[in-house]
Amino acid sequence: MFIQIEPTSEIPIYTQLANQLIELIATGTLQTSEALPSVRSLAADLGVNMHTVNKAYHELEKKNIIQIIPKSGAVVNEISSTGPSDSQIEHIKQVMKPLIAESIVYGMDKKQILSIATSLISGIRRDEE
Amino acid sequence: MTVSIFLANIVFLTLIQAAIPRLLKKSIVFGVTIPEVNVEDQKLSTYKKIYSAITLLVGLIGILLFAFLGLGKQLQEEKIVITGLIVQFSILFVSMILYLYFHIQTTKRKRKMKWGENLKKVRVADLARRSNDEMLPSIIFALPMAITIGLIVYTISQYSAMPDMIPTHWGPNGQPDAFTEKNPFSVIALLLILLVMQGMMVAINTFTKKSGVKLNATKRNTSRIQQLSFRKYTSWFMFLTTILLTILFGFFQLTTIHGEFAGSMMMMVLPLAFLLVILLATALYAFKVGQGGSRIRTEVIDEETTGITDLDDDQYWKAGVFYVNKNDPSIFVEKRFGVGWTINFGNPIGYLILIGPLLIIFVISFLL
Repeated sequence: MFIQIEPTSEIPIYTQLANQLIELIATGTLQTSEALPSVRSLAADLGVNMHTVNKAYHELEKKNIIQIIPKSGAVVNEISSTGPSDSQIEHIKQVMKPLIAESIVYGMDKKQILSIATSLISGIRRDEE
Repeated sequence: MTVSIFLANIVFLTLIQAAIPRLLKKSIVFGVTIPEVNVEDQKLSTYKKIYSAITLLVGLIGILLFAFLGLGKQLQEEKIVITGLIVQFSILFVSMILYLYFHIQTTKRKRKMKWGENLKKVRVADLARRSNDEMLPSIIFALPMAITIGLIVYTISQYSAMPDMIPTHWGPNGQPDAFTEKNPFSVIALLLILLVMQGMMVAINTFTKKSGVKLNATKRNTSRIQQLSFRKYTSWFMFLTTILLTILFGFFQLTTIHGEFAGSMMMMVLPLAFLLVILLATALYAFKVGQGGSRIRTEVIDEETTGITDLDDDQYWKAGVFYVNKNDPSIFVEKRFGVGWTINFGNPIGYLILIGPLLIIFVISFLL
C-alpha cells in the first residue's frame, strides 16, 4: 500500500497526500474503518513536516472521508450507502467546472471529455467497467 | 596480550573502513544521491576502488608498523596503548580525508553529467509498514536495568563486607589497576554507569522505532523488505550489546564485592570474550545485513518504473554525513557512509540522547 508524493511539484504536499489517500480509498485498497498511520510516523517516512500530514488528515476529515479519533488516530469512514449528499454534489460540480471549461478551451469535445472520465473511472474501479 | 587485542582491533577497523563502499546502498555514493539509472557509472566504481585500495594500504602499513613496534621491542604497556590508538586514529583520519575528497568529486560529477535532472523526484511511503516492523519492543531493553537495580541493592546490603579500596579501572589482564576510596557512591558507581548506558539503549531503540522508513522509489518492494530487516537486526544487535554489557559490568561488580570468586582466569577471559563477540556481531551485521539491509537478498521483483527517482535530499546532508532537517520528525536516520544510524541534528532530542548519557558518565567518573 504505497503512496508517492512529489515534494518539488507545484501542487502542495498536503493536497498530494490527501489525493493519494482518497484514491486508495476509492480503489478499495484502504477499507472502511482501517486505521491510517499516525501523523508522526507518516511524516517521518516521507521526511516532511508533521503539520503537512496533519493538514492532509484534517482536509479529509472536513470532507467526512476519514474520522480523527483523539489519542487513537485516524480511521477511514464508511462510504455512504445513500449516495452523495447535496453539498458533496455541489462541491464536485464546483471543482469539475473549471477543468471541463479548460478542456473545452484546449479544443476537446464532449465525447473526448466523457471518454477520459470513463477510462479514469475504470482505472480506479475495475468492477464498474 | 595488549598487542594482540590492539592488533585485532586495527585489522578489524581496516577491513570495515575499506569495505564501506560495498556495504552501502548503490543509490548513495560517497554521501551523494545517485539516480538508480546512473549507479553503474564507471567513474563512480573507480572512485570506490581507489578509496578501498588506499584505506587498505594505509591500514596494512599501520598493522605492520604496530606489529613491528609491539612485538619487536619490549615496549611499556602505556606506550603500546598510545601507539595502538594513534594507528587507529590515523586510519580513520585517512579514510575520512579520502571520503571528503571523493564526496566532492562525486558531487561534481553528478552536476556535470546532469544526473536526475529530467527525472521526476518522488518520495514513497508504505502505509501498512508499521504492522510489519519487527524491531524489539523497548520494554525488553528495560529488563537488564532491573538486574542492575537488583545489583545496586545487593551491593548496598554487602557494603560493610566490601574492601576499603574500590577498583575503578581494569588492565588488559583483567586485574584492577586503579582504585578509589570506599564510600556509598564509589561502590555503586560502576553500576550507575551501566544503568546510564542501558537507559541510553532504551532511548535509542525507542526513537529508532519512531524514525521513518525511507523507501527507494524505483525499488519499493525490495527496499521495503531490506529496510524492515535492517531495523529488526539493528535492534537485535543493540539488545545483544546491552546484554553483554550487563554481564561484563555485573561480573566486575561481583568480583569487587566477593574478590576473585570465579578465578583470575575468568577475569582475563570474560573481557576478551566480550570483545570477540562484539567484533563478530559487528562483522555479521555489517557484511550480512549491510547499510539499510542492502546486502539482504530478496525474492520480490519490482515493476519497472521509469521517469522517477528518489527525492534528492543532499541539501540536508552537510558534507554528506551530518543530517540537519528540522522538518523531518525522525530523530535517527540511516548513515550515508557507514553502517548504522546517525542523528538528525535538526532535532534537539537527538543531541540529548547522545550527549546526556555521556555527560552523566563523565560526571560519575569525575566524582570518583
